[in-house]
Parts: sequence; C-alpha cells; structure tokens
Amino acid sequence: MRIVSFYLFILEYLFCATIGGIVVKYILRRLLMLLPVMIGVIFLVFFIISLTPGDAASMILGDGATEETIRELRIEMGFNDPLIIQYGRYMADLLKGDMGTSYSTGRSVAGEIGQRFPNTFKLTVTAIILSILISIPIGVVSATKQYSIFDNIGMIVALIGISMPSFWTGLILIIAFSLKLGWFPSGGMRGIMSLILPAFTLAIASTASITRTTRSSMLEVIRQDYINTAKAKGVSKGKVIRKHALKNALIPAITVIGLEFGVLLGGAVLTETVFSWPGIGRLMVESIQRKDTPMVLGCVIVFALSFSIVNLVIDILYAYIDPRIKANYS
Amino acid sequence: MNNKVLAIHNLKVRYLTEDGSVEAVNGIDISVDKRKTLGLVGETGAGKTTTALSILRLIPDPPGEILSGNIELDGIDLMSITEKEMEKIRGDLVSMIFQDPMTALNPVINIGEQISEAISIHQHVTPDEAKKKAKEMLELVGIPGARWAEYPHQFSGGMKQRVIIAIALSCSPKLLIADEPTTALDVTIQAQVLELMKELKEKMDMSMLMITHDLGVVAEVCDDVAIMYAGRIIEQGSLKEIFKSTKHPYTEGLFNSVPNIDDRKSELKPIRGLMSDPYNLPVGCAFCDRCDYALEKCKTEKPEKIYFSETHFAECHLYKENIDFQLNSGKN
Amino acid sequence: MSENTEFVKTEQLLKTKKRSQIVDVWRRLRRSNTAVIGLILIFIFLCMAIFAPVIANYEDDALKMNVRERLQSPGIGHWFGTDELGRDIFARIVYGTRISLFVGIISVSIALTLGGTLGAIAGYYGGRIDNIIMRVLDVLLAIPTILLAITIVAALGASILNLMIAVGVSNIPGFARVVRAAVLSVKDQEFIEAAKAIGARDHTIILKHVLPNSMAPIIVFATLKVATAIMATASLSFIGLGIQPPTPEWGSMLAGGRAYIRDNMYIVLYPGLAIVLTVLSLNLIGDGLRDALDPKLK
Repeated sequence: MRIVSFYLFILEYLFCATIGGIVVKYILRRLLMLLPVMIGVIFLVFFIISLTPGDAASMILGDGATEETIRELRIEMGFNDPLIIQYGRYMADLLKGDMGTSYSTGRSVAGEIGQRFPNTFKLTVTAIILSILISIPIGVVSATKQYSIFDNIGMIVALIGISMPSFWTGLILIIAFSLKLGWFPSGGMRGIMSLILPAFTLAIASTASITRTTRSSMLEVIRQDYINTAKAKGVSKGKVIRKHALKNALIPAITVIGLEFGVLLGGAVLTETVFSWPGIGRLMVESIQRKDTPMVLGCVIVFALSFSIVNLVIDILYAYIDPRIKANYS
Repeated sequence: MNNKVLAIHNLKVRYLTEDGSVEAVNGIDISVDKRKTLGLVGETGAGKTTTALSILRLIPDPPGEILSGNIELDGIDLMSITEKEMEKIRGDLVSMIFQDPMTALNPVINIGEQISEAISIHQHVTPDEAKKKAKEMLELVGIPGARWAEYPHQFSGGMKQRVIIAIALSCSPKLLIADEPTTALDVTIQAQVLELMKELKEKMDMSMLMITHDLGVVAEVCDDVAIMYAGRIIEQGSLKEIFKSTKHPYTEGLFNSVPNIDDRKSELKPIRGLMSDPYNLPVGCAFCDRCDYALEKCKTEKPEKIYFSETHFAECHLYKENIDFQLNSGKN
Repeated sequence: MSENTEFVKTEQLLKTKKRSQIVDVWRRLRRSNTAVIGLILIFIFLCMAIFAPVIANYEDDALKMNVRERLQSPGIGHWFGTDELGRDIFARIVYGTRISLFVGIISVSIALTLGGTLGAIAGYYGGRIDNIIMRVLDVLLAIPTILLAITIVAALGASILNLMIAVGVSNIPGFARVVRAAVLSVKDQEFIEAAKAIGARDHTIILKHVLPNSMAPIIVFATLKVATAIMATASLSFIGLGIQPPTPEWGSMLAGGRAYIRDNMYIVLYPGLAIVLTVLSLNLIGDGLRDALDPKLK
C-alpha cells in the first residue's frame, strides 16, 4: 500500500514538472547553453577522428584503386582542405540534416542512425525507468532502517552491482535465462521478451548506483534539524519520510540519475553488442571496425546530444524541486 | 497535581555509543506550574536538550534510551502511551522550538504550508481554513500574512525564528519548550524575539520551559529557574531565590562568569576546568574538581537535596551540617 | 638560541601530527570490515600481478595454443579450464591482472595530473580562467566517458599505449571537477590568507597548503576511478579496441569465449569474476576511505 503511494508520488512530480510552474526563461536559458556545447562537442570529435592514421580515400576505394583515382577522390571529398574548412562544411551540412554518407555502405548516415536510434532509445529508457523504480524505494528503506539486515544485504548487493561489467552480466544472464532456462531469446529484437534481458543488464549497474546515492542522501537528510521540527509537530513517521525527507533527498539523487544515464549510454554500446540489439551502440562498434568515419562521428554526436538533453531535463527537474534554484532564475 | 502542566520525576536517559555509555540525564525532578515559565540553565553537555527531547519522546532510539522515570504532561503519563497517541500530543499539547533557526525549517516547503500542516494534523478543519489560520499565525508573530507562499531562504534569521514560533504555537499548546531560541541570533533580534515570546505567552495563557545558558534571558523571561550540571539538577528555585540567594558553588560560578561592566578593572572569573567526561562520571559530586569550596566527602559521596524553602533547594554537601553557610560572593 | 629550538620543536610536532593523521586514518579504515576485505582482495591481486612468473609460465600456459587441449572443463591440470585455443584460463587471468592493474593505475595517474592541474588552476584563480576551463570541460563532459575513450582509441588505433591515453584523457574532466571543488572549499580559509600575507608564491601556496588539505575527496575519487578504469579497459578490449590478442586481458578473453558459452560457461565465468572482484575490492577500499576521512564521523 505504501509502495503504491510512493510511486504515485514520484509520478506526480514528473507530471507536474512537465506541465509548468517553471519559469520559461530558465528553460530557454539552459537550451541556449546547450548550443555552444554541442558545437564544441562536434568539433572535438571531428578533431579526434582526424587524428586517425591512414588515408580515408584509399580506404573507401579499396585495394584495387589507382593513385589517380585516389587523388581525385581526395579532392572531391575535400580531404586535402585544412581541418577547419572540412569542419565548417560538415556543420553546414549538419544544419540541413545531412551527416554525410557511410564509407562502407554508401547510404546516408543520418538515415541509418535515424532508423536505429529508436531501438537504443527503447532500451535505455526502459533500463533507466526500471532502475529508478527499484532503486529509490530500496534506498529510502535502507536509510530509514539503517544497520538492519535489509540495509546490510542491500548495500552489499549494490556494491557488487556496480562492480559487474555490463557485458559480463549480459553474458551470465544469457547463460542462465536464455540458454539454460530458455525463458528469453538470447539476442535480436523481436517483441517484448527480447527487451527484458538487455534492459535488466543495463539496469543493474545504474540501479546499484542510484540506490547507494539515495540511501546516503536520505541518511543525511534524516539528521537535519527540520526533520526534528516536523516530528515535534506531530507528523507521523511515514509522512515525515514521504513529505519532508524524500523531496530533499531526491535532489542529489536526481543528479546521479542524470550521470547514470550517461554511463547507461556507454553501457548500451556493450550491451547491444552482447545481445545483438539493432541500436546505434552496435552500429558504432561495427562502424569503428569498418573504419566508417562519418558513421562513427554521427553516432557519437547523437549520443552526446541525447546525454545533454537528459541533463537539461534533470536541471529543469532540479529547479522544480528546489525552490532556492528557481529563485535564482526568476 | 493539577496546578502543574509538567511533572518529571527521576528521569534517567542514557546514550549507548561505540565509545561507551553516556549518562546524559541522571535522575532529575522538575516541574512547571501552569502559566509559569521555568528556565533550565546549564552549559553545553549538561543534558538540557536531552531532557526536552525526552518530554517529546524524540530521543533517537538506536543510541539513546530512557532508562527510567515518569513524565506527566497535563495529567497524562507520557511513558505509558503509544507512539500514535504521542504523535497526537506533539504539536498540540506540547510544542518545541529548536536551537538553530537557519536549519529548522524545511527548505523545499513554503512556510505557510509548514504552519498549516500542524493545524491540519491536530484540528479537523478544511485545507482552506488551515491556510487562513496559518496566515493569522504569521500576523501574530509579526510577519505579513501575504508572505505565506514564500520559502525559508527568503527570510532572515530572526524572521525564520518567528515562523518557527508560529508553527509551534499554531495549535495553542499548553506547554512550549524553547531550546536556546535566541542563541543563534544577533543581539538586537534576540531582544525582539524574546519580547514576542513574552507577549504570546501572556496572550495564549501558556507555560514555558525555557532552555538557555544565558542568565540575561533567564532574568527577562523566567519565573523559576533550575540549574543543570552533568545530568542532574543541582539547584532550583524561584527567580528571586536563585539570583538573590545563590546557594550552589556552580551557580555562583555562573554568575561570576558574567563580566561586571561597572568594575572594568577586576579580573574575569571563569570557572576553572572542564565539565567531567560524560563517559566516565565521577563517583562523588560531579562539580567537585572545579569547586573552590570542595570538601573531602565531595569526592566520594553524592550530595543530597538540601531545602532552603519550599521552592528552593541545592545539592551540595556544604549545607548539610550548616544550613547558613555563606558563599564567598556573599550573595546569599 | 632558544628560539631556534622552539622552531625545531614546532616543526617536529607538525611532522608527527602529519604522521599520526595518517596512522589515524589507517586505524579508522581498519575498523570497517568491508574495507579490510577490499584491502585483502586487492593485495591478492597485486601479488598475482607481481609474482605472475612464479605462479604460471607465460609462454607455455598463457600464450601457447594447444588445439588438442581446447575447451577443457576446470580440473586438476587446468584449475579454470582451457579456452577455445587450448590456453590455460587460470594462467591467462593471472597475467591479465598485470595489464588491468597497470593500465588502471597509469591512466588514472594521467587523469589526476592533467585534470588535477586544470582543476587546481581553475579553482584557485577563479574568474575568467575558471570560466574558460569550465566551458571546455563542459564540452568534454557532454560525451559519456566510455564513449569518449572509445572514440579516442578508434581514432588512434588499438594498442596498450593508446588505451592508457584514451582512458586517461576521458577521465580528465572528472578529476578537474573534483580537484576544483576541493580547492574552492579550502582556498577561502584563513590560513591561505595568512600564507599570502607572508608573501608565499602562488604555486607554493597551491602545492603546500591548498592541496594537502583538500586531499581527502581527491583520494577517494582516484581510488574509485581506478576501478572504473579497469572496467573501461575490459570493456574496450571486449569490443576489440583495447589489448589485442594473444595478450591475455580479461575483457578480450570474454570476447573470445563468447561463442562457446552454451556448453563451456566457465570460459566467461572466471575472467568476468576476476573483473568483478578487482573492481569490487577497489570500490570497498574507496568507500572505506571515504568514511575514514570524513571529519563529521570522527
């Protein structure tokens, strides 16, 4: 019964946060700050990739190409131009929504990514939601029943959870639930059954991390004076936790949720490889192996953009929960 | 006794920590008469806050526990009721104001809500009525009711303390426990808040337990005074008795510690030494090694209560044989 | 004359205070059961790394392919079994320890020195310098750490050196942030003003006064980051971007054995456990250090 009201509580926050009550100026300002960061990111990745030894043109044309054709291709693709010019050209194309063409398949990078992105989105969002739903209640209960069996076991399990690499966890889960028990498919994307194992794999590490953070911030909040004030008013223990402590404890927890999403995106690369999930993580790995530079560039940009947007949402949530922040921007 | 709003008898509270056990409160008896204010005076670590928390049964239960004693609040035996019943009493029959106003308010809930919460819990009113009452309380403590939707960080220290007072008084408690309510404030604000508290006490016909280490505050606000040291009440009496005929050497030491503004040339007279290690309280009188009048038996025998009048007693060996013993300051 | 001895005595007192501070932290660390387990575990791994040649022969056990002995289950001759090329898994794990610990520590050292310097400068000088550095870090931080490392290795090519550079560089912004926060918390305290008042130069102040007093969170962070660096190494090797076969590395062992997990699950179980235990032990130590260094818990 209490658990249900818990979840309703969290849903209420998320719902209200999206409806409004937050100053539009704040959102606009954060969005504006996103732009230079993305420009910087694209330049940075462009620069890193430009450090690749080897010649792109000869790679595209393959072994049989002549010196002549390689030279011509280089001029055509603009590889001889200074880096800044190439970067400028890329940005201009980007504004039109064009991320270039794949070196290996010849298809549009943006198209390819556009096709695969929803799959990664499905996977990561499921994983983060799973994490939040599990970790916050456990973190809160661990804190309120500190030193109990539940707390001790919970914290040990959480520690192990953050120590397990996602690709190993995935393999073990496949062995146990797919090969031995046959409950789930071991790879591919076909229906909800194939989503469960990879989502769980991804969720384990972030659940562990968010649980620990929720617990430690809850522990700190419980010791605050205003909790005593609430108790002295006659507020019941349950209500003290739900109404007075939780909101304050969530503030640092939310930051960690944002960071964990970033880790999740990195983990998606590994998990998609293990489960042969057709998302942009696996696309990126394949493209690296095939030396398909525009595809790699495109994937990293999309990852960085997703991460930044999630952090933006987190910042907005932050401002909604903590009135001190709201005040700074109104 | 029906003229007492609070009667504590032989309260013992202990904290069990990794480093040992601390006897925070060692068998105290105090009582507060209806519509009177009792000042509970002592240094940090004397056990004052623990006493206050015991009344509200808010001692944190892993390390702390109430070993024994009775606490009777307006006729109710607080040791025998359930937690649920206790929740009904907190904020309604008895309220507490904590020491540091800067951290005593929840930063993410607006102050109007923090006040009306207390009202909604204890009184059966609609949310609108609770909000109206909250605004009234704000006006009562000198804050414009229109500010009810603001958050704690938008108020200064003194105003935060007023909000806290508003919360505490919102259900007209019979007893208000104030734990060093002005210590964290500037001197000028201190005076304002004390004035406010005196005014409200009259208006709401309330009793107060004022915990403080500041004798000036005691002189301003209290009718009776209890001096606490190392978990025991070592002297208690009416305001006049304590100030004009001080009996216990510690109390004398406290008065002597206040610099004399008229005699700028005289040396300051602090009480030498430090309070005894709470993990290792001495066998005899706890004040013994800091006391200028110490006798041999002070080291080994705990002093008993010696009464000088119906309301005035002190725990000190000096008066056992000779009840007219005079302390050096000649104040008694 | 007597002034001189007073000075010497004070200096000695300060030195013993420093030493006893470290002893104090050690004692508090020992109190935590989990931290002690972590220390024991990491000690075991360190021994494995250092004494690897004593435990198993590199050429014969870890490298030599022996098709006749491939995919043998764990048993007397091969404690953890053999992999798909007939190599002894236990020996490969032992030698893999060297790589993991080496790369982990070196890459964190790179991140700590470069990132720490950036963070210290940003925190200490504040103003425009701080702003510029933080903007640059924001860009780096917009890319999830692993992905940044993957991109760097993808560009530079897979080798142990590039792996260390990649993992190191991708952790620079994290360290810069932590060191900057630590410096900020200390720099406004009065003993810094005092040092400035007697004319100490900036770099002296930073090195001798600011950093030693803000070490605690940095040490905890560094310990935890060695753990993530080890995980990153394994992850990169798993997707073929790290240590190249036949050099034994836990992540690439998992990649190699992946096709055989149906009937030979030990082939991924043991290398994975090695990763888990190493990372776990560092996390335990990091947690223990955090509690031991926390002044509030004193």
